[in-house]
Amino acid sequence: MQMFSRALLVLACIAASAPMAWPQESQRNRILALENAWDRAVQQKDVKVVDLLMADELVYIDFDGRIMNKTQYLASIGEPQLRIEHVISGSMQVQFRGETAIVIGVYQEKGARRAKPFMRRERFVDTWIERNGLWLCVASQSTLILH
Amino acid sequence: MTHHHRRCGGSRPTEGLKPAAANADVISGICLMRIKLRVIFVVCLLPLLPSAQRADPGGSSKLLALENSWDQAEERGDIHALDLIFDDSMIYIDEDGSLLTKAQFLDRVTKEAGTDVQWLLAPDMNVRLYGDTAVVVGRYSYRGIHQRKAHERSGRFVDTWVFKEGRWVCVVAQSTPILP
Repeated sequence: MQMFSRALLVLACIAASAPMAWPQESQRNRILALENAWDRAVQQKDVKVVDLLMADELVYIDFDGRIMNKTQYLASIGEPQLRIEHVISGSMQVQFRGETAIVIGVYQEKGARRAKPFMRRERFVDTWIERNGLWLCVASQSTLILH
Repeated sequence: MTHHHRRCGGSRPTEGLKPAAANADVISGICLMRIKLRVIFVVCLLPLLPSAQRADPGGSSKLLALENSWDQAEERGDIHALDLIFDDSMIYIDEDGSLLTKAQFLDRVTKEAGTDVQWLLAPDMNVRLYGDTAVVVGRYSYRGIHQRKAHERSGRFVDTWVFKEGRWVCVVAQSTPILP
């Protein structure tokens, strides 16, 4: 009886830790896949895809300190005078903190606005929350890397 | 014995057992087993509890107070106060895009102590609570004299806080200067 009880206790501990340990790797991959999907959508100006990735209460702080809500951010992606040639996020690390997943990474962007070419490297932090089984970005901030 | 029976409400004596004192130990053993099973069941359910039950009531006002404490501590070069505000794994992204650990950030504050600094936080600081995590978005202005040079700039920040061991600690912070 005692052995059975101990075995049950061990099983219970494994079951209790499982939501935090086992699926975390797959959640990490999922978040990284969403970050990559976001990059592709920005490059292709696919506003519909970006819309699906963002929570309605999104706060977006661009590299120049401009603050945007979701509507403003989506409009900025679709801006006709903006041409994105190349977007890539790298050095990404995902941290699961409480209810959120925080992604810290480096974003490189090359393109032109009003025929004026630009190339930037930015450090970003994206905060994601899981809502009804979907990860949605609630906050995103970028800072230009000067050195 | 009555105590155990009451805790095991709904249990039925095992078939063939006599209500003798010798069998009482067996029955109490079964009761104990059931209690253990219930404890195990509750332990299994703990991670599934809604986050709201674990969230800190009044978190928003505490976080605003902590943000102000942070600014004051940074102005005074108070490393001990900042040490309590930041989680050990805190990551700070500075205005130039460099990434600092907690130790590096505190070291920088120590080196800059003595600089005539004046931080001004805009009143439109916004707190969003997601269970035991919070995102604070705000704007700051900076005025100071460093190495005989006057500096003035403003920027935006997003700080992420986690409610950990009964208190809020900052885990990630980022600043972006507002370009003219």
